[in-house]
Amino acid sequence: MISARAKESVERILRKAVQTRLPISSESDCVISAMATDTPVRHTHVVVLTISSMAFRLLLVLHFSESDAMRAYYLGERTDRALQEVFLEVSNLCCGAINQALQADFPDLGMSTPYVLDARCVPHLSELDPDYLASFEIRIGESVDLIATVCVCADAPIDFVADVDSAEESSGELELF
Amino acid sequence: MAKILVVDDSSTVRDEVAGFLQKNGLDVDTAVDGRDGLSKLKASPGIKLVISDVNMPNMDGLTMVEKIRGELANTAVNIIMLTTESSPAMKERGKAAGVKGWIVKPFKGEAVLETFRKLAG
Repeated sequence: MISARAKESVERILRKAVQTRLPISSESDCVISAMATDTPVRHTHVVVLTISSMAFRLLLVLHFSESDAMRAYYLGERTDRALQEVFLEVSNLCCGAINQALQADFPDLGMSTPYVLDARCVPHLSELDPDYLASFEIRIGESVDLIATVCVCADAPIDFVADVDSAEESSGELELF
Repeated sequence: MAKILVVDDSSTVRDEVAGFLQKNGLDVDTAVDGRDGLSKLKASPGIKLVISDVNMPNMDGLTMVEKIRGELANTAVNIIMLTTESSPAMKERGKAAGVKGWIVKPFKGEAVLETFRKLAG
């Protein structure tokens, strides 16, 4: 069971993570809009990451295709790099931002490393019997087209309110012990 | 001789961090996981600073730190973790193992360059 305000919180956290981590430049426009979860799959691959706690398991599924637009945006002139490798790390940063935001309410979180699957697995997410499943269309700049699906399976009642606006951005800073 | 060792299973991160440090005049070597990092540190006593991810295959970053402090106890090396992990429990484990500092990704080179220079000196 996941409360309505917890679902809204997950959506706010996801939107902020997407806005701050998927564009490689703060000058790129990033537009996110909710879409139906039963929309036919239009990308070839997905990057999947899992955040687990005692109370829930959250899957972040980022849909992408190895298109020229994706290569141009994420690789630029570094054509010696593999798009999938670069996008795995970008996805890792995005999920890391979600993980960091959730930690304010759930201190026992663990996060997986990212892995790539065929996008045809996406319709089978419903087999997990999720308590929250939502998809968002993401457009970065004029040509990069992605989809983020978030899937939450609860093992205990989940109710929290995330305050993403006042959360401090401490990433990149060195904390000396 | 390399003074800084960057350990990460992502070639994107290795290229980004090592490239930035090399561009700023620092000697850098890289390793693909904790096992590789430990092996390179044993082979290169001149390394003064290790910058390492936490979650990696074969040997994770914190296990590598524990092995460095155990097997290379006489080596004066500073270790900084660069990771998406930000949990207080994970940081405490790092601190107890002998980690000097913690950075939550993404890497912002300019913010840490001077500290890295000092730790590698």
